[in-house]
Amino acid sequence: MMSLPFFGLLAGFGFVMAGRRAAALLLWAVSILVMLVLFRLHITDPLTIVL
Amino acid sequence: MTASLSRSLNALGLLAVSLVLIAAFLDQFLLGELPCPLCLLQRVGFMGAALGLALNVKFGPRPAHYAVTILSACFGGMVSIRQILGHIVPGTGTYGSAILGLHYYSWALLIFGAIVLGCTALLFFERQFERADTAPSRATAFGLAMVALAAALALANGVSTVLECAGGLCPDNPVIYELLQGSKRP
Repeated sequence: MMSLPFFGLLAGFGFVMAGRRAAALLLWAVSILVMLVLFRLHITDPLTIVL
Repeated sequence: MTASLSRSLNALGLLAVSLVLIAAFLDQFLLGELPCPLCLLQRVGFMGAALGLALNVKFGPRPAHYAVTILSACFGGMVSIRQILGHIVPGTGTYGSAILGLHYYSWALLIFGAIVLGCTALLFFERQFERADTAPSRATAFGLAMVALAAALALANGVSTVLECAGGLCPDNPVIYELLQGSKRP
C-alpha cells in the first residue's frame, strides 16, 4: 500500500518520457493524494509539545 | 533566462534531488537502516518534486510544472515537520543515525525548503515561459538521462517499499523486510 505513490509517480515519469503531459500531471495528483491519505493514517500518536 | 537555460537548470535540479534519494538508499542498504513510514512519505515528496522538474525538462518550463515541484516539496516538508516535532522534546529519542549532526528528516526539511526557494526564484524569470505552448520538445540528452535516473529511483523505491512493508502499512519502527522474513538486508 505504501508503495502505491512510488509506482504512481513511476508511471508519471513514464508518461513524461512518452510525451503525455496531461497523463503525467494526473498521476502526480493521484500519487500526492495517496501520499496525504497515508500520512493521515500514520500520524496517530499525539505530540508531546505545547503550542 | 531562456527556455533552454531553464531546462538545463531543471535538469541539474533533477540530478540534485536524485542524489538526495541515492544518499537515502545508501543509508538504507549500507547501514541497514530501514526507512520508517514517514521517511518513505518524504521520499514520495522528493519524487513528486522530481516529476515537476522532469516536466520542465521534457516539455519546457511552465508555471504549472513549477507548481508541481513546489506543492510536492510543501507536502514533503509537512511530513518532515511532523517527524521533527515527534522527536523535538529532549529524551524522546530519534530515528536513524545523524548525518553531519542532523537526522534525515531534518535534512529533508532543509532541502524541501531549498527546493521551494529555488523554484520560486526561477519563476521570476518570465522570459523562459515565452512561446512555451508552441515550442517544440528540445530536451537535451543530459536532461532525458536525468529523467530516466529519477524514474529508476521511483521504481527502486517502489520495489524496496513492497519488500519492506508487503501490501499493507509499514510498522512505525521497521526492523525487517516483511517479504524477506529473517533478513535485515535484501
